[in-house]
Amino acid sequence: MGSPFSINGGACVAMVGKDCVAIACDLRLGMQALTVSNNFPKIFPYGDVYLGLTGLATDVSTVSDLFRYKVNMYRLREERPISPQTMANLVSSTLYERRFGPYFVSPVVAGINHTTGKPFICGFDSIGCIDFAKDFIVSGTASDQLFGTCEGLWEPDLAPEDLFETVSQALLNAVDRDALSGWGAHVYIIEKDKVTKRLLKGRQD
Amino acid sequence: MPSIFRTRVQRAAFHRDHHRQSLLDIYRISSSTSDSRAQTIDDTPADLILTALTPSTPTSSSPSPHSSRLYSSSTEVLLGITGKDFTIVAASKAAMRGATILKASDDKTRALNSHSLMAFSGEAGDTIQFAEYIQANIQLYSMRNAMDLSPSATANFVRGELARALRSRKPYTVNLLLGGYDQITDKPSLYWIDYLASLAPLPYAAHGYAQYYCLSILDKHHHPDITFEQGMKILRMCTDELKRRLPVDFKGVLVKVITKDGIREEEYADDHSVACP
Amino acid sequence: MASVFAGAPPNGAPGYSFAQTPTAAPAGIREHSFYPYTDNGGSTLGISGADFSILAGDTRSTSGYSINTRYAPKLFKIGGEGPESKGARIVLSVVGFAADGEALKERLDTIVKMYKYQHGKPMSVAACAQRLSHILYGKRFFPYYVTAILGGLDEEGKGALYSYDPVGSYEREQCRAAGAAASLIMPFLDNQVNFKNQYIPGSGEGHALQQRVPEPLPRKDVEELVKDAFTSAVERHIEVGDGLQMMIITKDGIEEIYEELKKD
Repeated sequence: MGSPFSINGGACVAMVGKDCVAIACDLRLGMQALTVSNNFPKIFPYGDVYLGLTGLATDVSTVSDLFRYKVNMYRLREERPISPQTMANLVSSTLYERRFGPYFVSPVVAGINHTTGKPFICGFDSIGCIDFAKDFIVSGTASDQLFGTCEGLWEPDLAPEDLFETVSQALLNAVDRDALSGWGAHVYIIEKDKVTKRLLKGRQD
Repeated sequence: MPSIFRTRVQRAAFHRDHHRQSLLDIYRISSSTSDSRAQTIDDTPADLILTALTPSTPTSSSPSPHSSRLYSSSTEVLLGITGKDFTIVAASKAAMRGATILKASDDKTRALNSHSLMAFSGEAGDTIQFAEYIQANIQLYSMRNAMDLSPSATANFVRGELARALRSRKPYTVNLLLGGYDQITDKPSLYWIDYLASLAPLPYAAHGYAQYYCLSILDKHHHPDITFEQGMKILRMCTDELKRRLPVDFKGVLVKVITKDGIREEEYADDHSVACP
Repeated sequence: MASVFAGAPPNGAPGYSFAQTPTAAPAGIREHSFYPYTDNGGSTLGISGADFSILAGDTRSTSGYSINTRYAPKLFKIGGEGPESKGARIVLSVVGFAADGEALKERLDTIVKMYKYQHGKPMSVAACAQRLSHILYGKRFFPYYVTAILGGLDEEGKGALYSYDPVGSYEREQCRAAGAAASLIMPFLDNQVNFKNQYIPGSGEGHALQQRVPEPLPRKDVEELVKDAFTSAVERHIEVGDGLQMMIITKDGIEEIYEELKKD
């Protein structure tokens, strides 16, 4: 059956811009070569923090539900929204709890820290090792392709609109070279006082 | 061969579950991993257990647990179509056990509450066990709260239970379609859930081999606001194609419809023959 | 490629690509076998323009995590005279198993030379491309373990580029990346050379939106694109690096450029 990470397919990417961050995902859900759904988003908003999850679809749902619960509980207990950095550590420790029977997901966290006002992104492996990156994070079955497109297209200090174009082109062109990803995309551009969510059509094959 | 069922947990499992495939799984796990906990030697003779296992395993090479399981569930047909104000759920009427058809009027659906219906396929014991467990819990919810769970809430509950079971000692091998009608938003709904507990809300869905034959037909002809008559027409195209192409006789389908008025069974003629080019 | 050569590498033997995972030697009876292939990593790419073709490749050669050498060219001039290959008009790039690449280059070079001596005229790129396909297919059941790209100018003087799989299936294309970092470079090239996913702003709504039409790029732009593609690949792929060799085929001959790449 192959790796649990590549049964359902999917891709996710996050990027840092000037006072903004972007996070984007594809919409495909498949079972090996068969596409089951073309409306399966892999980005989950938890207040100001955004979590992207690729990998085994069942674990994408399980983990996203689990973090919705955990983030809600955090907000109720602390009476403040969770910061991206705290979210990163929450994701890390939660995944490591399942060290010897992991969730088959590769998470990506993106958001703006409202205390410092600084953009923040990071990625994880399936057992919670954090990859703090200053530029971009990729995950999913199209991660190789995304590394190529992001490394080629990204530049520092992109304005929100330019960041949108960059992340969209990076994702769209990457998933077009991956048979297990694609079928449209969701793109979030997160600024200090504004979040823009866009639906990209992309190739429908 | 050393003792296979060593831990108390596993021994208890043996007495509880009489399904052979599940025993195979335990056998695979306990024999492939040198578990440090497995020190308490079981008094059940190993040979006896192996004898109980062997009938279900064809000859020497032990197949992967999925290959034998998914075969029967792949030939079972589950179809779901939503439209403007309805959801159609169709399930094949054949109850199969290997190459034998045990029954030609099987109902592979359970009504969870007044406006949601679950159709299921998969491993023989698991399907009904799981479906009725879910049915009981959803009905309990309705009684306790004097209101029904919405289709989306139901779907997420079902998924949660299946996902929890997935990482337990004995997962359910069950594929599901959840047809419903949301009385609050006044919209029909359909949820696709596979045995791994992957959940997808869809306008039309199928499970097993029916996916390969029917999804393309549905891709071409489906539209979100088709009428019930148009929905039935598309369903007919699907079942005709299945009759034409599926190598096994699935004994026609049982059709149920969920509308704002609740769940009803729809008369569905399947005695006509389909020409094969 | 696994379907072409199903034999697994011998256990614990050195020098295989990362795609192949050598497992621990099983206890009991051990079977010894000779696995005739190695993956030497690296990447190549080719882009054709209106009146030129560019082929490029990094010069690192690897076996597993080791670097054999920082300068092992993957680009070869085909059909030229003498050790300098003077007067050559065709370039072959090969990536994969370097020894097979070398052998393939020698074979094709000889054939193109013989053609010139026998017919008194240089071989066209189209003919050379088809001949290369036949050479590869000739070893269908013991293939040259390489992905080849052939570049030159066609009979109208336009840039011509042909890409191959190891058993000779081939196609003329505008651009192609091959080798270890092909999956990284190719989507970038789709976007920047063939303008994939690019639309003309304000040209329409929905399906009426006009795609940006690909057109041959000027040489300077293409050279920059090649350098960008490789510096990107070097960042993220450990088998790519050390040096970038480029060959630009124009009506005036073959111009060769070498640039340093990161050596980490």
